[in-house]
Amino acid sequence: MIGHPGASPAHLRGSSHLGAFPHRSVFSSFPLTSTATMILLEYGNLVLKTILKEHFANHDPAKPSSLSHNFADFDGVQFNLATENTDRNVVYLSISWRCFSELASYNAVSHLEKIYGPLVSSPRPGYDFTLAFNMSQLPASETERDELIENLSLLKRHALAVPFERAFDAQLKGDTLPLMQISYRNEESIWIKTDKDRVTVIFSVTFKDPADIVFGKVFLQEFVDARRQTNLQNSPQVIFYPEDAPAELTGVKGIVTDKEKKKSIGYVTFVLFPRHYDAVKRQNTISLIQTFRDYLHYHIKCSKAYMHSRMRARVTAFLQVLNRAKPEVVADKRPAAAVGGGVRSFRQF
Amino acid sequence: MSTSITQFVNPPAPVVCFAYNKDRTMIAISANSEKVFIYRRNGANWDTSAPAFVLAEHDKLVTGIDWAPESNRIVTCSQDRNAYVWSFEDGVAWRPKLVLLRINRAATCVRWSPDERKIAVASGARTISICYFQPQHDWWACRHIKKPIRSTILSLDWHPNSVLVAAGCADFTVRVFFAGIKEVETARPEPTPWGSKLSFDTCYHEFRGACGTSACGWVHSVKFSPDGNTLAWVSHSSSVHFVTSDEGATVQTVNFNGLPQRSVIWASDNSVIAGGHDANIHLFTRGHDGQWAYVRPLDATEKKSSSAGPASGASAAMNMFRQLDSRGQQETDTSLPTVHQNAITQLSPYESSGSRVTAFASSGLDGKVVVWSINSIESSMAGLKIA
Amino acid sequence: MPSPLRRPGGRFRQTIRPEFAPWPSFFPPPPFSLLSPCILSLAMSATTSALRPYLNAVKASLDASLCIENFPSQLVERHNKPEVEARSSKEDLLTPIVVSRNENERVLIESSINSVRISISIKQIDDIDRILCHKLTRFLMMRAENFVVLRRKAIAGYDISFLITNFHVEQMYKHKLVDFIIQFMEDIDKEISEMKLSLNARARICAEEFLKHF
Repeated sequence: MIGHPGASPAHLRGSSHLGAFPHRSVFSSFPLTSTATMILLEYGNLVLKTILKEHFANHDPAKPSSLSHNFADFDGVQFNLATENTDRNVVYLSISWRCFSELASYNAVSHLEKIYGPLVSSPRPGYDFTLAFNMSQLPASETERDELIENLSLLKRHALAVPFERAFDAQLKGDTLPLMQISYRNEESIWIKTDKDRVTVIFSVTFKDPADIVFGKVFLQEFVDARRQTNLQNSPQVIFYPEDAPAELTGVKGIVTDKEKKKSIGYVTFVLFPRHYDAVKRQNTISLIQTFRDYLHYHIKCSKAYMHSRMRARVTAFLQVLNRAKPEVVADKRPAAAVGGGVRSFRQF
Repeated sequence: MSTSITQFVNPPAPVVCFAYNKDRTMIAISANSEKVFIYRRNGANWDTSAPAFVLAEHDKLVTGIDWAPESNRIVTCSQDRNAYVWSFEDGVAWRPKLVLLRINRAATCVRWSPDERKIAVASGARTISICYFQPQHDWWACRHIKKPIRSTILSLDWHPNSVLVAAGCADFTVRVFFAGIKEVETARPEPTPWGSKLSFDTCYHEFRGACGTSACGWVHSVKFSPDGNTLAWVSHSSSVHFVTSDEGATVQTVNFNGLPQRSVIWASDNSVIAGGHDANIHLFTRGHDGQWAYVRPLDATEKKSSSAGPASGASAAMNMFRQLDSRGQQETDTSLPTVHQNAITQLSPYESSGSRVTAFASSGLDGKVVVWSINSIESSMAGLKIA
Repeated sequence: MPSPLRRPGGRFRQTIRPEFAPWPSFFPPPPFSLLSPCILSLAMSATTSALRPYLNAVKASLDASLCIENFPSQLVERHNKPEVEARSSKEDLLTPIVVSRNENERVLIESSINSVRISISIKQIDDIDRILCHKLTRFLMMRAENFVVLRRKAIAGYDISFLITNFHVEQMYKHKLVDFIIQFMEDIDKEISEMKLSLNARARICAEEFLKHF
């Protein structure tokens, strides 16, 4: 069985159901709790959750404490969590992401307003989007507070969900949209193409070192082949294009054509049909597909870590074999002078 | 007398070379270091707790030791390019006297001439230094034999007449030289069948064995027979070579189906014993037709099932875990089915009657010095007669 | 008289079926190293070649090659260098031998009077093998000081090299050193194929798990 060295996803993954605050009606009917084992990544931001949980628990209305945290998430997302200088009850959660302007062009702000409602505030300097809430107006019950925290931790997920929602809505209505591009990482993008009967999601995936290229190909090939299994017939079709972009992306700017650079790039296409984004499955599908790139890299890293531990064990085994060639030191044949006196001690081996 | 095994240096270190004194009560050993240890025997047993004397003058590996039996002097040579003659002064200590070798590479091998008046030192400087004592200066001076040597000299031997020297070289060649020095010789040397010109550094012969179509390998050891008429040498191609002086000097090569030999000695005028990388010793004899042939290995030690009985108590348990940790296995029997557990480095006669050797000693990389009795070898192997 | 080592002569290929190996298993082929350069190719058809005869041939060749002794440098005063690396004089070098099982798997044994260099080319069928092999050998070579006999850099055309000098043979049992090399060759193949299997297994589980949740 495959081992999981390093950080196991088990403790990273949480139940990612969306809370009801303040728009319970939008999501409450389709909880995102997956029955997955410990392999999948979680969708929310764990640091944010931990900080807020502690802050909420320690909150003293008479003497509110200040907060100032910068932390990161996958895909180059920067979060800032800070209290207002003048009123420590006011907490700002700001996000900065290179693709936010693209997301905004797909009406991200109004979509996020639907989710976060009154929490949406004007962006703080240096950030793309800011939520603000007042500690003095926190919901009273523990569960409602947890839901609030959960919901805040999903800010990045909700932002990136916008183009997906838009594509799914359009397709279900029978509209076709122009190709949407989300340049969510420095060298990697997601494209969403809406067709008459389907939505195609294309990821570009880059690998830094040659080992990752090879490992990545092994993983991606398995994604392609997995659908042959009978229980996975209903999963989206996955197509892997090593090096060259699929036909859907012809004419798109910024596609790498350099022969050497191309070798470290691959394109992965997910073909989604309405059954994947009907009312029941839509949120789950969006969450899942967003984590694809990080999921892939996470497991490549795990594989490498596992191999590292294997190699370490193998080196020890080889050393043992080599030690067999060394003559044994006969322990009891000590020089005569040493036997006579002195304190007996155990030698360190 | 049966086979006796002595491990002088503890912890074991490879014995590069060794030499006994005349009555075999002392042994000088180079244990892979720049020092020479002399151990003494008390009655039947060697005192291995500590060396009786340590000769510490060299600063690199000591590569050769020879002990002149009659004058009780030791000569040592080393990779530091020096050689010393040690004499036991005032019954207290060994005092060195530098030999002026005038070489600029490592000395590899040293031999007293049988009359103990000259020393031959082989070196990596493509030179044999023939050294002799100059009483007027109170030092050992030398004359060089250079031509036509083109390589490191690995081995040397004196003819019994003390004026011929045979040298085995790394260029696969054995050469026989005249090495008599006018001012040292007491009488005009008799011409031998090897050659008659009596001038220093005359090269009488250059011999190469033939292994198939190519020359044989490095000459690890060369020895004149007790009567001085036959020369035997072992080379790295696992072959032993013989050449007899009065035979028109053709080389007889006996190929050996095992690892190369490193040292060879004459057991009698018609048999030689060789030992080397397979840790065993092997007998070669000359038949009545003058042809040499391989006979058999002489070390037929039965492999012991378990050398020491199971140790008891906590130390045994600790040992077991230590084994498991460092080697990943419990059983520790790594021994070879021979007395020596690693390559044999040198063979030397130990006891003789006339020209026949009745016992000989061997040293190995495993740190052991073993004395073998020919009688007990013969009695352990049916039908074997070494003569 | 020219030494055989100086003769430029072409290589000859000697094909030996393992079951007809020309020497008994215990004894090495003695004058091998001193003949012209040899390539022992065991069972040319890759499908039928079993591992054991290959390893036996390597073992016998190593036994014969590891007959080395202390030898001071002929070139530099008071130095003692592995001649197989220093290459200061041709006469101190023996003819290298290649023992090959097939094109991918072969061992180069270069011998000299005081040292032996053993270079192993490990079986690599695809990119994964190559990466895994590269990772594993690099991992080992970075720990070369622990291994004593391991060379920090493999020689060109091979994946990993060992350098055994007379000092190693003096400190360790020669036959066990040979066992180490043989075991190494056996285990490294096994290790790579096991790592490859585990990589594939993980990839499959990951893909299935991910897709299952749509």
